Amino acid sequence: MSVRADGPDLSVKLGPIALEHPLMDASGTFDLLEYAQRYDGDYFEDFPYAAYVPKTVTAEPRTGNPAPRITETPAGMVNAIGLENPGVHAWIEELPRWARLRQPVVVSIGGNAPEQYAAVVAALEERLAGASAGELPRIEGYELNISCPNVSSGLQIGADPASTREVLAACRQATSRFLLAKLTPNVRDVTEIGAAAVEAGADGLSLVNTLKALVLDAVTLKPFLGNRTGGLCGPAIKPVALRMVAEVAQAFPGTPIVGMGGVMTGLDALEFIACGATAVAVGAANFTAFEAPSRIVQELRDELCAHGFASVDEARGVALQA
Amino acid sequence: MSGEGAHVEHDHTQWAETSHCRVAAVRHFGAFAVVELIAPRVARRAAPGQFVMVTVPGGAFLLRRPISLFAVHADRISLLIEARGGGSERLTQLDVGDAVDVAGPLGSAFPTEGVRNALLVGGGIGCAPLQYLADALGAAGAHVTAAFGFRDFRSARAAGAFSIERLSVATEDASVGRAGTVINLLAALDVAPGTVVYACGPTPMVAAVQRWTFAEGLRGYVSLEAHMACGTGSCHGCVVDTARGRLRVCAEGPVFRLDEVTA
Repeated sequence: MSVRADGPDLSVKLGPIALEHPLMDASGTFDLLEYAQRYDGDYFEDFPYAAYVPKTVTAEPRTGNPAPRITETPAGMVNAIGLENPGVHAWIEELPRWARLRQPVVVSIGGNAPEQYAAVVAALEERLAGASAGELPRIEGYELNISCPNVSSGLQIGADPASTREVLAACRQATSRFLLAKLTPNVRDVTEIGAAAVEAGADGLSLVNTLKALVLDAVTLKPFLGNRTGGLCGPAIKPVALRMVAEVAQAFPGTPIVGMGGVMTGLDALEFIACGATAVAVGAANFTAFEAPSRIVQELRDELCAHGFASVDEARGVALQA
Repeated sequence: MSGEGAHVEHDHTQWAETSHCRVAAVRHFGAFAVVELIAPRVARRAAPGQFVMVTVPGGAFLLRRPISLFAVHADRISLLIEARGGGSERLTQLDVGDAVDVAGPLGSAFPTEGVRNALLVGGGIGCAPLQYLADALGAAGAHVTAAFGFRDFRSARAAGAFSIERLSVATEDASVGRAGTVINLLAALDVAPGTVVYACGPTPMVAAVQRWTFAEGLRGYVSLEAHMACGTGSCHGCVVDTARGRLRVCAEGPVFRLDEVTA
């Protein structure tokens, strides 16, 4: 192993999507336009992630859950936002506002039924087909969020192989772009859901979404969050997420994986890569400091050097080898 | 009150990059502390009503704490902090010379332009942004009156941090100032027509101030508190219900028109 003079090669291929480095944001934790508004320079120019995953969009507008929606817990936080978003049609109208972004975009899509997911994909595909060059951001893939724990739709799609298959199949028919299925950790066997997604047309898998959780008000001993339950994220869930990424990587060799769950540092990101992740998403860390994304990218570079890896590809899966 | 006038506009600066600050001074008032930080780049951009996100030193707390600007003088910003939970308690224990990271100023500011008579109404730690507002209004030549309500002697210690010429205080346990709530203070005031009301405090107080303000035929603004994760518009964790729908306290607020919030 030798590290090149100009540093390790951070580039990765997420299926057909070429990434400058392996880091992207986890859906719902990072809003490009909000960052740009609070930055001295040109945030589009200095955009730290290799790909942008916006907050989940659904077919119809959603007002989300009542407050309070978040609370801090030891080494983490629990949130129950409830997929608040303006709906795909209003969302599409906003696309020209950030068309200047150079990095590829993976659109996160939510819903309660297969046809709702497919309707979002179809609406986006229709808009993309009619767009002139440079009019829209570079939408190169979709992440199907079948794992949000904070929407009360009865059965969670991502906990049921048959429902997972239906959502993937419906969306697969609507697009030839890269299709990720975002998996929930709230299942007995994450590879069972992963298998259903891949069989039905997923090009890749992203995991984990939040762990379903309950926080009580210390005075009333009633559920603290407006939605009663929420999803736990942050460093507290990293060991769980690593274990699940490793299981999925071993079960589906060759399938691109976006690993996430409590990534706070470059070393955390490298650990996900070592467990087989192709790329790594940063979630709660985005809330801790404006500079967290660029810091984590730099730290990953340093960690690859420190561990003697010449590239991200060289580090991938080392934790899985005997 | 009619719906005339615009929403609280963002004609001021928001800036989310982290400033690594030193503590220049700390004053304690019971469970409260006024922490003065050397933060030239925050101070230069700040306006009354805005807040900063403060990292709790020591690494035990993941999320930064939203704290409104209590005062701004030259290159210094001051924060009035109440020890309420582990994170805020740690912040009240800061010492001169300590390093602390802040990001800001963030959020909307109190509109002050053209205001000749202002009535500042605060409850508990909600009084915090009103010193900075009083300073700015006073500097612009406005006539400023303030009325603060506290639950008990312990929470009324915060009043000692303020320097506002016409300030009256009420406590619900009658330990300091007038007995009762801030509404009892308002009822005793002689309010000039056209006075603009600025409120910040717990929800029941805001609701009562709303009723009083509308009954008096006045208009005003309110600064709201909320649990926040990012403080910069990304997480949608801090929403409140308003006449304009569900809005983020950190991004569309914390300052809203008094008639648009549903307290």
